[in-house]
Amino acid sequence: MSTVIYEKKDGIGYITLNRPEELNAMNDEMLAELDAVLPQAEMDLDVKVVVFRGAGKDFCVGQDLTGVNTYEVLSEPGEHLTIKKRMEAERRRNRRWEYIFNLAKPTIAQVHGYCLGTGCYLAMVCDITIAAEDAQFGDPLLRMGLLPHMPLWLYLVGIKKTRELLYTGCYIDGIEAEKIGLINRAVPGDELEDEVNNLASGIALMHCDALAPVKDAINSVMEARGLGAAWRFTNNMQLVMQQRTMLPDEFNFFKARDKKGLKAAIDERDAPFKKFCEER
Amino acid sequence: MPTGFGWNFKTQYQLCFWEHRDYREWEFQTVLYEKINDRIVRVTLNRPDKRNAFNDRMFEDLATAMHKANDDPDVKVVIVRGAGAHFGAGHDLSSPEGEESPPVHPNVNPTLQDYYGFERRRCYKYDDVMDFPKIIIAQVHGKCIGASQIFAASCDIIVTAEDAQFGIRGFGSQLHGLTEFPIWPLWSNKAYAGRAVTEMSGREAAELGFANVAVPLEKLDQETLMWAEVLSKLPSEAVAVTKEWISGMLDIMGMGAVQREHYHAHLSLQYVHFRPEEVNLYKEKKDKGLKGFLEDRAKTATPTTKK
Repeated sequence: MSTVIYEKKDGIGYITLNRPEELNAMNDEMLAELDAVLPQAEMDLDVKVVVFRGAGKDFCVGQDLTGVNTYEVLSEPGEHLTIKKRMEAERRRNRRWEYIFNLAKPTIAQVHGYCLGTGCYLAMVCDITIAAEDAQFGDPLLRMGLLPHMPLWLYLVGIKKTRELLYTGCYIDGIEAEKIGLINRAVPGDELEDEVNNLASGIALMHCDALAPVKDAINSVMEARGLGAAWRFTNNMQLVMQQRTMLPDEFNFFKARDKKGLKAAIDERDAPFKKFCEER
Repeated sequence: MPTGFGWNFKTQYQLCFWEHRDYREWEFQTVLYEKINDRIVRVTLNRPDKRNAFNDRMFEDLATAMHKANDDPDVKVVIVRGAGAHFGAGHDLSSPEGEESPPVHPNVNPTLQDYYGFERRRCYKYDDVMDFPKIIIAQVHGKCIGASQIFAASCDIIVTAEDAQFGIRGFGSQLHGLTEFPIWPLWSNKAYAGRAVTEMSGREAAELGFANVAVPLEKLDQETLMWAEVLSKLPSEAVAVTKEWISGMLDIMGMGAVQREHYHAHLSLQYVHFRPEEVNLYKEKKDKGLKGFLEDRAKTATPTTKK
């Protein structure tokens, strides 16, 4: 294992995203390793609660946008895939979120630094999110013509805030994230680890067999509110989105990346929004 | 469907509110349609002497403007605001009996099925606003009451003046109209249907997540333009698909069912019997005129929360 580290201590399982040089961007390798480690943590009788965290300065910046080793993470335009292939890929993506959301153990996201795009989705599907006050949350997918595809946005922060965050792609800090209900609590950065460990050890005192059905009961409420259908609907909308046309005068992220490189493309993507977001 | 009442009841299932309106020959009377630049259209509700209250014509003008903006390939964002001192006072209660916009007068006595058709048209308008494929921003100042508030709620973004006033009064003092408009509990996780009964300022609306941002009145135009400008940079097809995803999510979360509940409740309202001590719009309007009704209603209304 290299891009995901799994450790356990005192009843707590730690899953650490480990590509610190790439700000823990998710690539295919990381997803494969996550897929391997999740059942392991779920079955582990020594682990009562699972903590997700990021190595280095950030939790996770989201999808690896380089286009290298990212087939599972990101559909590139111009790929001639059948609808069936595309649908299966979308289904795998959302199944992973569903799996974590329904993991038979409580999960905590310990967030510091950037927590963007699919990184933010990972924090959202955890039961509890504790973040550093200066952590940065955001979902800039729409700026690239990609569908922001996490159904929990609407359940967690409501219609207007969802629209605002997805349309503008602006980032918010941990304090604001707590205020709008995206996370449970923001704490000063140097207290983050203690806070999470304290909470996790508290949960670990609970009876394991009681935690699983309680979590399941909570999730069944979400199911009744439509979350099950929402995943599937989101898969379909992802397929629809892949057929979009980029108009000639509109920013085309993939073209810009292939021509000028990733960093320049991201700068170009964010430039029109920069001043607006800074003034928020 | 014959009703003897002058409305043209078509089918139970309604066409889209705006999509079928022909704008080419249309002359706007109650709204102003201006292109601020290639990418931004601003629609100003323009019945300031009526506080921009909706009558049938203003709904038609607004729908036509929406269709026109949607058909213009350069346009990315639509701003809707109100002329004069207010964004809008809701349905125009002084409209003549035959209009669909005010509460239906009991004398009109439509059949139950007629009334269904009418209520569906009235409520699903707002679904059609939500489904508009381009970004709509409501720029709110002054009063934003009743139907005007529901319209603003159905827009993507609300930029409001801090001292604007959101709320619903309704046409009976106890009833407050239908205050449980379905969007409210879904609008913000901090708000519950019951909380939304009373009126609130723009500042409070922003705190509760009903509005996106509240600014001093003198900065309102500028702030709204800033939002419009930045959102106009997004790839347009991706915006349309994302909006479709959000609308679909809301359907899954129950928006369709609560819309239905909303117009069912409206339907029940049609058969309300007012008690003698209660303020009765229809009776008061007949005896004392609209102004007299409004004065009496104000006396018995729940006090406004101050914030």
